[in-house]
Amino acid sequence: MEAHLYLEARLQMVGSATDFTYKWCVNMGFDQNEAARMALAVDEILTDIVLYAFKVETGHIEIWFQHTFSDIEIIIQEKGEPFDPERYVYDAEKAIRENNFEGASLETVRSMTDQFLFLNRGKDGKEFRLVKKFDTMDIRAHLPEHFPVHPKEEDDSSTGGDYLLTPVTSEDAEDIAKLIYRSYSYSYSKEDLYFPKRIEMAILHEYKFGTIARTPSGGPAGYFAVIKSTDSMIGEVGEAVVSPQYRNRGLMKRMLNTLIQMSRQRGLKGLFGEALMIHTYSQKVNQRFNFKTTALVVAKSPKRIFKGMAFQSTDNVSVIIDFLPLTRRWMKPNHLPEQYADLLNTIYDQFETHLYIPSRKNKIADESRKTKMELIIHHEKNTALIIVREVGSTFELSCKRMFRSIEDLTLTTIYIDLPLGRDKINSSVDFLKNNGFILAGLMPFFHEESDFLRMQKIMVNIDFDLMQTYSDIAVLIKKRVEKEYNESRKEQAKA
Amino acid sequence: MKVEKSRQKLNVVLQGDFNLNAVRRISELLNGRNELSIDLSNSRFVNSKAIIYLHNLMYADSPVDVQIRNPPKLFFALLKTLGLHKVWNLEEIVQP
Repeated sequence: MEAHLYLEARLQMVGSATDFTYKWCVNMGFDQNEAARMALAVDEILTDIVLYAFKVETGHIEIWFQHTFSDIEIIIQEKGEPFDPERYVYDAEKAIRENNFEGASLETVRSMTDQFLFLNRGKDGKEFRLVKKFDTMDIRAHLPEHFPVHPKEEDDSSTGGDYLLTPVTSEDAEDIAKLIYRSYSYSYSKEDLYFPKRIEMAILHEYKFGTIARTPSGGPAGYFAVIKSTDSMIGEVGEAVVSPQYRNRGLMKRMLNTLIQMSRQRGLKGLFGEALMIHTYSQKVNQRFNFKTTALVVAKSPKRIFKGMAFQSTDNVSVIIDFLPLTRRWMKPNHLPEQYADLLNTIYDQFETHLYIPSRKNKIADESRKTKMELIIHHEKNTALIIVREVGSTFELSCKRMFRSIEDLTLTTIYIDLPLGRDKINSSVDFLKNNGFILAGLMPFFHEESDFLRMQKIMVNIDFDLMQTYSDIAVLIKKRVEKEYNESRKEQAKA
Repeated sequence: MKVEKSRQKLNVVLQGDFNLNAVRRISELLNGRNELSIDLSNSRFVNSKAIIYLHNLMYADSPVDVQIRNPPKLFFALLKTLGLHKVWNLEEIVQP
């Protein structure tokens, strides 16, 4: 349920925008006080833009409202007079003593939000990012630290056939959170699954759908869900759990088959999985269900300890992207970057029966297009993703501005997704490689139902020996990514 | 905005948030009066511009006697953020 406002930069518009902000935040699950805080933060930014960025001339302001399971992010963009927020530091004593309230607005914004970022993108404008987290109950605070391995209430010894699989509803939220805690203790990678309210909201707003397996007595035994992409008709098979005492009974297989069926019914064009590389369990499961490897995304999330499991991550966690197409109308771009054409063709060959190659006429020329890119910051993971929607003549300049605007953030990795099938892809790839980016791989259908090439810039030391691969293609991609990483390190050392 | 005026006093009931738009309208209406009462029952927040405006009225050379009715919770939170809770006499300013 994302939203976008395009406003004339006039004081009369501010009230309407803050009213919308308040209502939208309440509808997304904030309580009235939290929604009012977000509305006040938006009011402060908009008022200052109208007063100082545009002054007498007219202009426009764009606001994007984004929602994840754990937070709300509001992005305000404008192209008014340049501004440096670091020059305006509020000092309460100075305000009282000298009646100097400089910086009061930004101080207000900081106190009303959990995170406030200002990004100056030069000619591409300025961006204010306001983030507020959901304040919801964490199941870990309400359950004993150690669950009994065989809890009395769940002593069903049913074999595979006796379990009932039903689509999840918002009423299953608490059972799902308990299942996760019971199975993984504190170590599950998706933090949101410890918060029943977040699960409930995600199901209610149809951000995810899934299936829950129950024993004949109604106890939860397993859960598997697809998280829908907000940007394309694909989904991530991202949440899977079977309670330890019900494992090895074919439940995971039954649930995944149900999910694939549910995904087809919803018209999804494909499913992808992000398989951890600290082990090969998930990669093996994905391959068994005909998912094929397309990319290696390095340092996807920070170092983690996997409690109660036979391994722990000492390095940033990297993932293999595995993809399962659900359509036979998948158009393979006829213009692949020369630098990676062989590897990309090998990746595409895995999906031969699902692909068709369009005529050369369909090649997209982009000489006169304006570059259009979008920035997504994953605050909890310290990563950023730049999605290039249009590659135009200003591509390199826009990239430089974007990189400059985020250089003060502490990021471990920057990913950039380039649309495939464009004329300019070769020069775009060369430019990114010269700026420290290396290959990640193919991201099929990832944005607006189109294929993208993902490149990545890694700002931390990575030990590729800790990354385990299962499929032949995964081995091939890893070899290429590691080679480029080492070359990039050497270049940096020289510089 | 509902408004009642007397020679000395301006009574205002805001229909929305106390933002810069409301500040500008109140400022025009006050027009030299030395008492101002603002009912904030319908407001979700008071922004920093509004707080600074009230501060300037109360601490001007010819101060205005300001009374605020039913302010939202965020009003107190913001006053604290800006450090003005130390100097405002809230017992006199805020009316139930």
